[in-house]
Amino acid sequence: MSSVKGYKCPNCNAPLEFNPPTQNWKCHYCGSEFNLEQVDTVHKEEASDQDIQELDSYKCSSCGAELIADATTSATFCLYCKSPTIIKSRFSGKFKPRSVIPFHITKDQAKEIYKNWITKKLFAPKEFKQKEEIDKVTGIYAPFWLFDCKANGMISGEATRVSTWRKGDYLYTNTKYFLVTRKGTAKYKRIPVDGSKKLDDRFMQMVEPFDYSDIKDFSMKYMSGFMAERYDVESEQAKTTMQMRAKSYMEDRLRSTVTGYSSFSVRDKHIDLSNIEASYAMLPIYLLINKYKGKDHVFIINGQTGKVVGDTPISTLRQIVFALIVFVVTWIICVFGGALIV
Amino acid sequence: MLVFVVLSLFTGFIAYTPNPVNVVDHVGYLTDNEIQQLQARIDKIKDRYKLDVVIVITDNTNGKSSMKYADDYYDYNDYGVDDKDSGLLMLINMQDREVWISTHARAIDIYTDSRISGMVNGITSYLSNGYYYDACNAFIDDVIKYAKYSDTSYGGKVSRMLKSWPVYVIPLVISIVSTLVITGNSKGEVTTSTRTYEEAGSFTLTQNTDMYLRETTTRTKIQSQPPSGGGGGHSTTHKSSSGRTHGGGGGKF
Repeated sequence: MSSVKGYKCPNCNAPLEFNPPTQNWKCHYCGSEFNLEQVDTVHKEEASDQDIQELDSYKCSSCGAELIADATTSATFCLYCKSPTIIKSRFSGKFKPRSVIPFHITKDQAKEIYKNWITKKLFAPKEFKQKEEIDKVTGIYAPFWLFDCKANGMISGEATRVSTWRKGDYLYTNTKYFLVTRKGTAKYKRIPVDGSKKLDDRFMQMVEPFDYSDIKDFSMKYMSGFMAERYDVESEQAKTTMQMRAKSYMEDRLRSTVTGYSSFSVRDKHIDLSNIEASYAMLPIYLLINKYKGKDHVFIINGQTGKVVGDTPISTLRQIVFALIVFVVTWIICVFGGALIV
Repeated sequence: MLVFVVLSLFTGFIAYTPNPVNVVDHVGYLTDNEIQQLQARIDKIKDRYKLDVVIVITDNTNGKSSMKYADDYYDYNDYGVDDKDSGLLMLINMQDREVWISTHARAIDIYTDSRISGMVNGITSYLSNGYYYDACNAFIDDVIKYAKYSDTSYGGKVSRMLKSWPVYVIPLVISIVSTLVITGNSKGEVTTSTRTYEEAGSFTLTQNTDMYLRETTTRTKIQSQPPSGGGGGHSTTHKSSSGRTHGGGGGKF
């Protein structure tokens, strides 16, 4: 049994890749497309529940060359023959994901989205707008922990209701004070927490939400044609991030039931989370990391919905030039246009 | 010969020459040199702003009021540079120890009541000390100052614009604000909310109490605002004996 998996076309034995627009598998060599059942009949093998021993090196299943991959990379392309290859050990045992949301955005669409986004960033350095840069956009299945939990919460605090009226020469202000208490429960489903240290948590949260109606049982097949990372943030560690989010959700939810007051300030709150369950999932993103003056700048597209987040460096020179142009143009308009009006 | 007559009539009609004597001193307070200097300044104003400027010093108004004398002097002595005979006349009336400024046509709009009373105040302070030449120069200074403000040619407006601060401040503010706005252009925002991951219908309130604690009432006196007064660029006018409209004003010294 080989340690890497490559999905091959049943017709011509060239590599099969997952094709987002049709949600089928496509052979780019002979052009054939296969649906889930068709691929399954040829490739029965699935990710193992058993831990598989990590090897020192992996060889491409197509050409036999050694794969160049980070310790967390679990799906990649052979550097030599460009065949998509999947490292089975990194999807096995404790690294076997329970679910996956397949890509819906194609790489070409992702490039287009990046191009549109970067052209709107007036102050981004020119290098960021070049074609070579745009071509670096990569589709990655990112490891996420999805948490279910039950929240039990209480908030209490002082609320005021202010009314004012006029009588004669005086303005009267009446303030009524209330002690407001709310207790409630709610269930949260699949709060996602980024399971990769490589990916910026802040941006990964901004790229949410994913549409869970499209979630599928995990299969390595979906990885074919994309990069994938396995988690390196344990579920216990991710749990604390999730707990903070769930607690603030619950608090906000309870707060939203306090209505009809001029002000409300929380004095006391207590939120308990129970029945916490984590499941491991692969969620699709397109990623582009630009280095500029030693700092990483991240651009991420939600591979399912197309939502865009990211930051670009600011070129001071471009800022100054822009400010000067705006100043001169508005100055000319003010002087010569103003002279027409006065 | 006939051609010459027709031509001269024609050019005479187009380039109608106004009275070239703009400084008339019946009393002899000004030296010939001073009169020449004043005339030179006035000629420049006539050329540049198309406004006639006349200075008359007299100690005999033939029983007329300062206003009437000034209006008539302007009307009956062919003053006025443009087709509406726009201009203004300062009468120093030594009989009544009074100064009067009479305005006509475009000058009525330029030299508003408040500007004239300011000019008169400045002039009378010189006149009461007997500085007649200085008073005339002060008058011409003011005439130029306000003519500049009211230069209605496009070039005049542009040069006024260049000297005003808003044409520098407004572009500066727009430039800084637009640069900041574009710089701060959001990196993307969190679009998940409290409800995104909440299982539909799972939220239930188990306690919902609002307990009345206390209340306070305060009162403050309402300050009544006095209505703000209007004012500004208005010119009052009257008809002179010739039937023409004049504006103006004056004061004693």
